[in-house]
Amino acid sequence: MSAPVLRACEVTKVYGGTHALKGVDFPVTAGRVTALFGENGAGKSTLMKILAGIEQPTTGHVELDGRPVRLRSSRHAADRGIAIIHQELSLCPNLSVTDNLFLAREVRTGFGAVDRRAQRAATRAVLDRLEERADPDGLVGDLRLGQQQLVEIARALLQEARVLITDEPTSALTAPEVEVLFRVIRELTAAGVAVVYISHHLDEALDIADDVVVLRDGTLVATARAGEVDIRWIVEQMVGRDQDTLFPDREPVLGEEALTVRDLSVADPAVPDRLAVDGLSLAVRAGEIVGVYGLMGAGRTELLEALAGRLRPVSGQVLLDGRPLDGPGIRERIERGVVLVPEDRQRDGLVQTMSVGQNLSLAALGTYVRGLFVSQPRERAAVARAITDVTVKTSGHAAAIGSLSGGNQQKVVIGKALLTGPRVLLLDEPSRGVDVGAKADIFELMAGQARHGLAVLFTTSDAEEALHIPDRLLVLARGALVGEFRRGELTREELMRVSDGGTPKDGAA
Amino acid sequence: MTATTKTPAAVPAERSAARARRLSLLNVAFELRAFIALAVLIVIFGLLSDSFLTVPNLITMTKHVAINAVIALGMLLVILKGGIDLSVGSIVGLSGVVAGELLGGLHVGGVIAYPPVWVVIVLCVTVGMAVGAVNGLLVTRFNVAPFIATLGMLYVARGAAMLISDGATYPNLAGHSALGNTGFGLLGSGRPLGLPTSIWIMIALAVLATLLLAKSPFGRWLYATGGNERAADLSGVPIRRVKTIVYVISGACAAIAGLIIASELTSAAPQAGETYELNAIAAVVIGGAALSGGRGTVRGTLVGAFVIGFLADGLVILGVSTFWQILIKGAVIILAVMLDQGQQRFKRRGAAAAAVAATKHHD
Amino acid sequence: MPSTRRRVLTWALSLTVGCAALTACGGSAQQPATSASASTGGGTGAAGGLIAIITPSHDNPFFKAEADAAKAKAESLGYQTSVASHDDDPNKQSELIDAAISRQAKAIVLDNAGADASIGPVRKATEGGIPVFLIDREINATGIAKAQIVSNNSQGAQLAAQSFVEAMKSKGNYVELVGKESDTNASVRSKGFADVISQYPDMKQVAKESANWDQQEAFTKMETILQKSRDIQGVIAGNDTMALGAVAALKAAGILDKVTVVGFDGSPDAIAAVKAGEMHATALQPAALGATSAVEQADQFIKTGKTGKEEKQSIDCELVTKDNADEFGVFARK
Repeated sequence: MSAPVLRACEVTKVYGGTHALKGVDFPVTAGRVTALFGENGAGKSTLMKILAGIEQPTTGHVELDGRPVRLRSSRHAADRGIAIIHQELSLCPNLSVTDNLFLAREVRTGFGAVDRRAQRAATRAVLDRLEERADPDGLVGDLRLGQQQLVEIARALLQEARVLITDEPTSALTAPEVEVLFRVIRELTAAGVAVVYISHHLDEALDIADDVVVLRDGTLVATARAGEVDIRWIVEQMVGRDQDTLFPDREPVLGEEALTVRDLSVADPAVPDRLAVDGLSLAVRAGEIVGVYGLMGAGRTELLEALAGRLRPVSGQVLLDGRPLDGPGIRERIERGVVLVPEDRQRDGLVQTMSVGQNLSLAALGTYVRGLFVSQPRERAAVARAITDVTVKTSGHAAAIGSLSGGNQQKVVIGKALLTGPRVLLLDEPSRGVDVGAKADIFELMAGQARHGLAVLFTTSDAEEALHIPDRLLVLARGALVGEFRRGELTREELMRVSDGGTPKDGAA
Repeated sequence: MTATTKTPAAVPAERSAARARRLSLLNVAFELRAFIALAVLIVIFGLLSDSFLTVPNLITMTKHVAINAVIALGMLLVILKGGIDLSVGSIVGLSGVVAGELLGGLHVGGVIAYPPVWVVIVLCVTVGMAVGAVNGLLVTRFNVAPFIATLGMLYVARGAAMLISDGATYPNLAGHSALGNTGFGLLGSGRPLGLPTSIWIMIALAVLATLLLAKSPFGRWLYATGGNERAADLSGVPIRRVKTIVYVISGACAAIAGLIIASELTSAAPQAGETYELNAIAAVVIGGAALSGGRGTVRGTLVGAFVIGFLADGLVILGVSTFWQILIKGAVIILAVMLDQGQQRFKRRGAAAAAVAATKHHD
Repeated sequence: MPSTRRRVLTWALSLTVGCAALTACGGSAQQPATSASASTGGGTGAAGGLIAIITPSHDNPFFKAEADAAKAKAESLGYQTSVASHDDDPNKQSELIDAAISRQAKAIVLDNAGADASIGPVRKATEGGIPVFLIDREINATGIAKAQIVSNNSQGAQLAAQSFVEAMKSKGNYVELVGKESDTNASVRSKGFADVISQYPDMKQVAKESANWDQQEAFTKMETILQKSRDIQGVIAGNDTMALGAVAALKAAGILDKVTVVGFDGSPDAIAAVKAGEMHATALQPAALGATSAVEQADQFIKTGKTGKEEKQSIDCELVTKDNADEFGVFARK
């Protein structure tokens, strides 16, 4: 193996109090595709951002051609031949395809003006290479998501980089588009370009990879040649523990039907004329954990947000303990006993400017009021109880929320929901972006609440979780229920087949 | 299989720990920066002028501070929510004009009625609250950006003040004992227990605001809404109500300031209070509040108002040219905000250093 | 969401109607001469044609009096009028003049928005065949406007200062409150004060502060100055608004009866204060006289092509004291 072009050396990255990376050594070799694996929150994107100059390491450094280099910005890295295709699209929807491709890298004429003709010709050429027929003068905002992703890829290709980092480049591509991308990647490696490839589709990534690297909880845990390993090995390294301890067995004690949903339809908040949830019916009994599994866009989040009162359903009925729950907003539903732990805890779950204790007590603040004011002893007592109950590791109620790790932040969001004394607990992707230890804690917490008679409804996009955690699993595809299974009834392969809903899915095969 | 397993390497731990300690010390200094600035101002002016550090002068300066502080307290609530209220200066003018109109008598069906002073005060504050309620309504129901909504109301309220007064000043608001409407002047020139009324008003409002922010559920909701509106919403915080109420309170505070000014001058001009909104925003910002919302205190805002007020009066006592006065005020505002940015950066770095140090100790 | 859209539409409609109603209430005094009048022909009336009157903002009673007097005079001479305010914004002034040109006004009576910034727009109007008559403020050019009728600020300031010195018996400590320092009138008046007072060696200026023509600012500054020393026998201010602010501060400090306060402008509020004995005197600028004179000369010019007067004309200010206060109305003798 030749010497690496680009290398992260002992890189550590801390956000607030959270360790995203802990002393990672990561080499990238010319002419080879290095596939990087890891769960959500394992630190893949952070590592790529550091290699591309978007983020600076807290400690450690980056080496280019064996010499230490400080990549001050993505522009700085790009000048040194490092290009990145972002997981999140970083295009300006109000500009044309050509303008986006040449943004901040405009081709100039002799007079210093932008050479539109040259730019358009280059755009045409690179789009041809990707077998994409989009109009170079069309607005990026008018393209569908997959095409936008191709524009993003084209932009990286135009840089003629020596190192190409691709972070989830295929999430919105169709199978033929993925084929084309792979062909282009092989052309690049043949020409000596080093490629880093990250994808949630393990088989797809293993297919294109030469080398395999696995990250777990910010630590590099394994490296291997692609030909020598299989998906099973990769998953073992990613999860890093015996599945039995992560997914404890439980025997539910079921009570009355707590939450009943009949023919619920919810409009997609982004595309109002499309139904995100389409005539769905389900029921959750007290003491039961029900999982909802579905791919991206299956309507999981919209379902929970409608139940929590954030989205107004188009039609249908929601019952709590047999009594209708129609109409009222979030506040009233929390008072009635339905509370949501949202998917994106940074965006929807936590108030970053407030302390751990203030975050915990926020949803149940009204219950600590004495006269006009919040009773401090009452609030403190409740917060202390919550910190122990949901096992938050913190220096105390006054600690800044940002000083907590991802898993502990998630526990605070769950603790906040539990302090409202709910009858029905809704959790949207509760294990997303938390480390394995916290994941086990969170599942244990859900089980404990179910034992106390709560009805628990949670969503997941993780097949292992879907198969092992819930007492009953509902599989969602395109807003509709396509299957319902008891635990142990289903294999991973069957789940994949069912969740495709028999229709071609958005992503690659 | 060529698989290998790695653990994070150990780096000197003490260095990180010391760095974390140093950064947290700096953080404390930053936390107190507004107080330090105020202390520096008082010392400098005290050294340069004999008449600066006298009790009567301190009382007079505090009286001048009070007007801006009262407006700034309302502004603080709006800024905590992540909004801004540009209409307060115009509300100051409108409130004075309404007081002038009412003290001059209400024409009701051919008869002129002279409402007593307390009614005038209540009505003026109500007018301020009404303008605030319109601001709140525009922001919460019609999704107009706070900057735009209150900019619009800046003109609407000023225009209303001009229309009511026909551009003229209401002179002599002292009232007549025969009409039973005397006493308006006390608001501006009365001195209960030796301190001007306006200082008592400032103290009372500051105590109320502190209780509201620190003790009441509303205060917590406000901090949460400003810190993360979506999270607050999902936690059942009535964010629309919170947002509307802060504009109403801000309008009430501005109206009170307008009454104090009209009472001090015993006359009311429709153009009173122009650019006062900027002074109030400056006080809140110097006091360490974040314009993005969720961060700020009553204490800081008061100190900010004192910094601006003492600076202005001190420069007058020293006889510094007006042009320099303007320039120095601007420099102080910029410096305060730069220090605030510095503090935020130090806080983040301190947290990162502390976290690195903590893991090193665990190893 | 058709229902939402309809609601928004309803609101937009009611807003428009509301605005229209407000404009109507404003009546002819606020006819915006800008966009509404882009069409030609509509302006030229049956009688004498249109005279456009453009002044700074009417929230200052001086400019309002000026505009009102010009309007009344023009209408009595059989002209139509359009009254507008440029709010001291040269750009807005230029737009208002464009509008007057396109409405084919017979003359423009202008209290301008800046001695240099106004030269261009005035020339534009003159070249467009519309005579311009400047009042209250000069421009830094001659031969363009048909007349520049300004009150004699220097003479007025000297008049006020003379009365001030006499009331103080030629000795004592005094404070001067200056107007907005970027405004020419502020420095002309301040110089006029100094020309007189400097002749009396026992008159001692203990503070000179700008209060930006503003009452509240004058009040605050006066209070602060009093903290430095209460040994003050006189306050002379560049306008009446500031003088009244000083009066309020002196009254609050309980020493008004020992202090002579003199202002400038002759505003109705100041005259009331003079009558009440709170102010000693003010120099009245005959705003109405200048405005009516400008309209008369415009009328003359329209009919004969000549004004019959020099371009630069100055109107003397008059001193208002307790003795003659009853003789004055709104910026004019009764």
